[in-house]
Amino acid sequence: MARRIFQAASYTPTATADASALANATYQSIAAGSATQVFRVKEIQCGGQATASAVNIMMFARNLTAATTPTALAAPNGDGPMSGATAALAAPPVTYTAAATGPQRTNTALTARLNLSFNAFGGIVKWFANLGEEWEIIGTSVSVAPSSLSAFTGGNVGLMGSHIIYEPL
Amino acid sequence: MKQREGYLIVDHSASPGLPEDIARQAGYDPKHCGEGKTFEAATLTCAHCKIVSVKNPLRTRERVKCAKCAGRYICDLCAIDAQSPTYLHLPFEKLADITLDLAEKGVVLGSPQELLSSKIIT
Repeated sequence: MARRIFQAASYTPTATADASALANATYQSIAAGSATQVFRVKEIQCGGQATASAVNIMMFARNLTAATTPTALAAPNGDGPMSGATAALAAPPVTYTAAATGPQRTNTALTARLNLSFNAFGGIVKWFANLGEEWEIIGTSVSVAPSSLSAFTGGNVGLMGSHIIYEPL
Repeated sequence: MKQREGYLIVDHSASPGLPEDIARQAGYDPKHCGEGKTFEAATLTCAHCKIVSVKNPLRTRERVKCAKCAGRYICDLCAIDAQSPTYLHLPFEKLADITLDLAEKGVVLGSPQELLSSKIIT
């Protein structure tokens, strides 16, 4: 399948503790469109847009609790295939930055999370996975599937933009 | 970048950078995360839980590789688990197979699908 980019142009994350619902427009979350869908996350990039020094303790982590009623993405945020020739998916991925109740970041030690701390005043952080070593999202079960990029407790979060490149299989 | 390693770059070449405590908390080398610095590192992905960790090039302790997973890296937490006499070998791919198998039979683990699929347009 073709790779896709889920991007949020500009937002200020809120430092949120694990196992707490994330507030709207402070995160990016991605979930499979069906119980049998598999994604591989290949790249995550965060770029700082703050006008003063601001440490963002960004984490890409599994969701402990899924969001309820995710809100459809609206411009300037978006999610689309990297190739214009890509056919529409039967079960479109559920990518969102807002929901009736936001997802909760995992709080368990044996559940995957990726720490992407950086200074949003001019800083950039980017992670690439090697082939076969990608972050996998499988089906819709929490703690093995839905994942979100959000700010962990601490720091004095600042404006940033980010993208997630992933590939539905 | 070696085979099976990811790549992380934290570029503060035009930024005040991170305080030492935050850099350490994230697993970065604080010396390369300050003002005007760029930190580059290899990352390792655990074959069992998919945790991604920044590789410490100064580590002398053995990094555990799972023989049952074709010698792929497993993280320290999974390595401790694997030493238990009651340990059941469960690589992430196997977990994926179980999840997908159950899904095909109509058994969905975790949150109900309705919570994820009912989008609203604003």
